[in-house]
Amino acid sequence: MNSTLRRAVGAVLPLLRRLMTMVVALWGASVLVFVVLNVLPGSPAQVILGTQATPQSVRQLTAQLGLNKPLLQQYVDWIGGLLRGNLGVSYISHLGIGSQIAQALSVTGPLVLLALVIGLAIGLPLGFAGALRNGRFSGSLIGGLSQIGMAVPSVVAGLLLIIVLTVKLHVFPTSGFPGWSDPLQALRALVLPAFSLGLVEGAILSRYVRASILEQLRSDYLRTARSKGLRVGQALRRHGLRNAAIPLVTVLGLELASLVVGAIVVENVFALPGLGLLLLDSVNNRDLITVQDTAMLVASTVLVLNLLVDLSYRLLDPRLKGTA
Amino acid sequence: MAFTLVVLGSVIGGSQPSGATSSNATLVIGSAVAPPSLDPTSNASAAIDEVFDYNVYQHLVELDPKGAVIPVLATNYKVSSDGLKYTFTIRSGVSFSNGDPMTAADVVYSLNRAVNPKSGYPYQALVANVSSVTSPDASTVVVNLSHPDNQFLYNLAAYSNGMVLDPAAVANIATAPVGTGPYMYKSQISNYDVVLAANPNYWGPKPGMSTVTFRYFSSASTMDSALQSGQIQVIDNLDNSQNVSQFKNSSAFKVIHGPTEGKIDLTLNNTAGPLKKLKVRQAITYATDKKAILKTVGAGYGTVIGSDQVPGDPWYTPRVNKAYSYNPKKAKELLAQAGYKHGFSMTLTLPPYGYATTAGPLIQAELAAVGIKVTIKNIAWALWISKVFTDHNYQLTIIDQVEARDIGEYGNCAYYFNYAGCKQVSKMMNIATAATTTKKEVGEFRAIVRKISADAANNWLYNPDQLTVAKKDIVGLPGSGLTESFNLSYVSVGGSLSKQVAAEGFAS
Repeated sequence: MNSTLRRAVGAVLPLLRRLMTMVVALWGASVLVFVVLNVLPGSPAQVILGTQATPQSVRQLTAQLGLNKPLLQQYVDWIGGLLRGNLGVSYISHLGIGSQIAQALSVTGPLVLLALVIGLAIGLPLGFAGALRNGRFSGSLIGGLSQIGMAVPSVVAGLLLIIVLTVKLHVFPTSGFPGWSDPLQALRALVLPAFSLGLVEGAILSRYVRASILEQLRSDYLRTARSKGLRVGQALRRHGLRNAAIPLVTVLGLELASLVVGAIVVENVFALPGLGLLLLDSVNNRDLITVQDTAMLVASTVLVLNLLVDLSYRLLDPRLKGTA
Repeated sequence: MAFTLVVLGSVIGGSQPSGATSSNATLVIGSAVAPPSLDPTSNASAAIDEVFDYNVYQHLVELDPKGAVIPVLATNYKVSSDGLKYTFTIRSGVSFSNGDPMTAADVVYSLNRAVNPKSGYPYQALVANVSSVTSPDASTVVVNLSHPDNQFLYNLAAYSNGMVLDPAAVANIATAPVGTGPYMYKSQISNYDVVLAANPNYWGPKPGMSTVTFRYFSSASTMDSALQSGQIQVIDNLDNSQNVSQFKNSSAFKVIHGPTEGKIDLTLNNTAGPLKKLKVRQAITYATDKKAILKTVGAGYGTVIGSDQVPGDPWYTPRVNKAYSYNPKKAKELLAQAGYKHGFSMTLTLPPYGYATTAGPLIQAELAAVGIKVTIKNIAWALWISKVFTDHNYQLTIIDQVEARDIGEYGNCAYYFNYAGCKQVSKMMNIATAATTTKKEVGEFRAIVRKISADAANNWLYNPDQLTVAKKDIVGLPGSGLTESFNLSYVSVGGSLSKQVAAEGFAS
């Protein structure tokens, strides 16, 4: 094998291996989601028909919905649909699940991104400042504030923001989402929810940033750089940041996933028609296929994020090139 | 005895087009539970009926907010003296919101759709005794019953079985509902809102709003904030009655309250251990301070009850409500007589509703005072339906039995109360519903009300009020929760109600 080919294979093989792992993980997730939902007690047909329905009509509806088929067949039907890109139709709302999820994503996606931007805008400067002022009063103050920020659940932050900024000051709408036909109003509706997610996120990120920078500041090579006469900032920029970024990218990937989960709670507080509301109401209505599809979407998002994080290591850390 | 009831075709509505000042007005109503689907004929969720019943879909006869049956798509009706034949005169000049004219054939189609044993209508059982629906001429529909049922008209008015549908639009009933009502379906974002628009083809007085939006909030405090900040103008029914204080004392809002059809019960599984014994069930009833529970859980808005009855029922018997007035001493005596001098332990399974989770600990404390040790278990609604309702796997639960006139369930031996007197009540129900005079009907139903109370088949706590909060200038909202529909036929901003509409129970 010549060396260029070997290098190409060396670059592609780990990627392939990662992709294979991802496919297996997705399959595992699909089995888990399906099994957990189908052992949940609560007959969908009985939930649909309520407390005055006769047992015959419940049986009849169960059959009509295909819920009396063997579980394996139900699983194959569902996965087969997903593989063909068909998310199916909700047997509760009779709406296409794909369009429902797309609608929900048009709220949750921007919400999570906005929250991440806010989190970074708070977390990065605070973390840097905290690391550079370590040991001084202002450094401890930043550390203390981020502790408080981490301890406040986003629900509480959200409720406080609603009471202060909407009911008292009328700066933002208390809740709801007007749709993207008017982007400015839509963004206005997302500001408060994004802040209640992002504040907490910023506090968490600032602690990681601070720790990571501190570690670099204490490293031998940075001391060497300083001894060459570079100032702290210069040394960090030239040598420290890339190294500090590696653990931060991991954390960022994980935190993005937790932001999606946090969005579920915040959407409830602000009555936003996003993924969280869809998931919660679907579980309550025993809208099993919608729950399965949504859960798979979240699972694949997390897996893709992890893959991206892994790949970014290779970009950030040339030492990893060609390794699996 | 010949018995014929003729209701003259009162011109329904008769209200001044109250929207004269406000036909461009829009209304946003906050509500707690989003409709899981748009089709009331295939899903029992009351949230669907709240939006679509009477507002989008109309019936031959409907209930007014006082609970009386009034003609709507029929101009009048006649009941044969043997109670088997109902003859309806169909209102002329009515169109569906899509422009299709409504005909007698559409009524026949709609009723047959419900009657079909395989219809999948959640309340199909209530029309199972319909033997035929025919239309002898273009303005008449005749319904024949296989045995007399004096609740037929009421059930037709109260439940989705009675909705008149456009056969040409039924294929899309779940995504594009079409009816004859004052409002028509415009759009929805699932779990978030449903938007209705004024129906330009409406046969009655012009709707007072150009659009009405139902907006859903899973957090009650967010909904209250939305009303306070003006994002919504109405809350249909306060989830937590205690929150009424912030609106009651404000000049910007009004509070409208009136009875519902609900019976909040401490439901007893009559076959679970000690609950088999009458004295034990009676002791539990004596041990609960219903007035205190109503005051704490319902902020006092409601009526204490002592059987499966509400003030709107024709056979309502207030005396029965006093049968087991709070008396812990007597409860202890009864427990001792039943052989439980030292009490026993029970599990109270609670569905995730505010009234249940608030009343639960109160009842736990009250029963503890007479020696019954209660463990509380909170479960999700779907689980409640499966464990408690379908599998009868429970001892005590608290639930609002919301269905109107559902006393017949005490005659259903498969129902989750496991009530031992079911067979006898079933016989009594057959006699009561077959009565062809009001006097006999009321007398026979009263006998059932008294029997299940004497048997302490359940511990009925109270009939909760619907607590509607609205901006001061919103006029014409329903004055009660006696219909599942949140009837918006006469709602407007700053309009005035005719005498007739006010008399039907719409709030000025």
